[in-house]
Amino acid sequence: MPAIVELRNVSVTYPNGVMALSDVSLTVEQGEFAFLIGPTGHGKSTILKLLYRDEYATKGQVVVSGWDVARLSPGRVARLRRRVGVVFQDFRLLPRTAWENVAFALHATGHGYRDVLRRVPEGLAEVGLLDKADDHPSQLSAGEQQSLAIARVLAIRPALILADEPTGNLDPDSSAHIMRLLTRANGDGATVLVATHDPAIVNAKRGRVIAIRHGRVFRDIDEGGYPDDLEHD
Amino acid sequence: MIWNTIDFVCRETALHLKRERLIAVATISTVAVLMIVLGAMLLFLVDLRVWTYRIGDVLEIRAHFEPDFPREQAEERVSEVTLWPTVREARLIPKEEGWQMLRSWLASGDKLETIDNPLGHCIQVYVREPEFVPEVAAGLEKFAGVKAVVPSSGEATKKDSFAHKVVQFKRIIAGAGIVIGSLVVLAGVFIVHNTIRLALHSRWREIYIMQLIGAGRGVIAAPFLLEGILQGTVGAVLACCFLVPAHMYLRSLSERSAPFLLLAPDNVLLVFGIAVAASGAVLGLTGSAFSVRRYLRRKPEWHS
Repeated sequence: MPAIVELRNVSVTYPNGVMALSDVSLTVEQGEFAFLIGPTGHGKSTILKLLYRDEYATKGQVVVSGWDVARLSPGRVARLRRRVGVVFQDFRLLPRTAWENVAFALHATGHGYRDVLRRVPEGLAEVGLLDKADDHPSQLSAGEQQSLAIARVLAIRPALILADEPTGNLDPDSSAHIMRLLTRANGDGATVLVATHDPAIVNAKRGRVIAIRHGRVFRDIDEGGYPDDLEHD
Repeated sequence: MIWNTIDFVCRETALHLKRERLIAVATISTVAVLMIVLGAMLLFLVDLRVWTYRIGDVLEIRAHFEPDFPREQAEERVSEVTLWPTVREARLIPKEEGWQMLRSWLASGDKLETIDNPLGHCIQVYVREPEFVPEVAAGLEKFAGVKAVVPSSGEATKKDSFAHKVVQFKRIIAGAGIVIGSLVVLAGVFIVHNTIRLALHSRWREIYIMQLIGAGRGVIAAPFLLEGILQGTVGAVLACCFLVPAHMYLRSLSERSAPFLLLAPDNVLLVFGIAVAASGAVLGLTGSAFSVRRYLRRKPEWHS
């Protein structure tokens, strides 16, 4: 399968001198489901941010869907982000109803009303929130809010889904539900990259595991679980 | 695609205005008050300008020919003068008409009936702008057979001449208009920019989330810009609703008690109203454009 994500000798150094990533090279193929694991603050989120161009590489090259993300114009960045759906630990939902959250993503990416009227209920039903379409995020549980964030991402049918600690604020049942949704999206053809430091969800899935430590790729295993030695220096 | 975007932008603008009614009311009121201040100053300047122009309109130059100068030749000169680009109007006052006018003005005019007409033909000239008086007077002085030009080119350029004073006054009014207008427009942009920034600050997160889900900068900015235009226009129209009737009332008062105060007529007020509404729209657009630009380039504080 062709690669959808390529990081070539990427380093990221913040203005205060802290090196977030150091000479990272990795490839994710289309249709893959991979975990980015590692202790908090060791560079997982930075890798994801590079992929939807919320951060820039200080050195090296980041290629997503064949685009060198550092060279994209603002208009192209918007197009890149329509191909890359991002799920955050803090959900980042708009202060609108569940229906409007999903509809907004579709409208903002140029979909017509007929399309929106068809896709929003489909998306909400897919994550089990159709009966809560009129509820605001504040009226939903944490698990439901994350499901809504996933519905918003799935509605625009991205080729790549990036999930940054998607189960970080959730109980085990909700975490399992979220992982089922991401697995289903992967089954429907999307490439999924999940950043987490939760061994439970990594061991339950048994997919590809890319371990990051001190800003470097520590281990990259095709069918691995959460390595026991990752947290120890 | 384009209709979907237009439809989306209009709905988002309506939603913003509905959700943040208080901020919208605050912005509109601010713009309205500002436009009342700006408009009142502008209207004052317009009135002064109208007054100076009307004074300029009545500035006339007369070229008096020798008493024996033939009328046909005087008429030829009038045709020639009418073609000068600096001249608005020129007409011949035949010596018979001039003599009759003079007699009617004088208290002892009846006693002059027995005297032969000592006057020559005269050309009465109105210039397009008061600045042209010396130039036109000099042109008339060059005609053969002209005995005197009133005012002469020399008198018209003197600092204490009426034409010179009108020109100076007009220049001062124009300069003051530019300076005050620019200052108030700058203040307006600053105030609208700050008010819209308040509205934007409360939606900073939203803007950032919009960017993350792939909304283009144009799609994000357009509802805010449209909102700025609407708020600016509504504020300016409200200001006009106060200023225009107030001015009409003042004009009716001045017509009765001080007819020499020439205030702007209805056609000027219509142009003024359109200009103020358009300025409001531009103020709103500029203010919101500054603010949106700033927020599109920055990440919210909670960003990590």
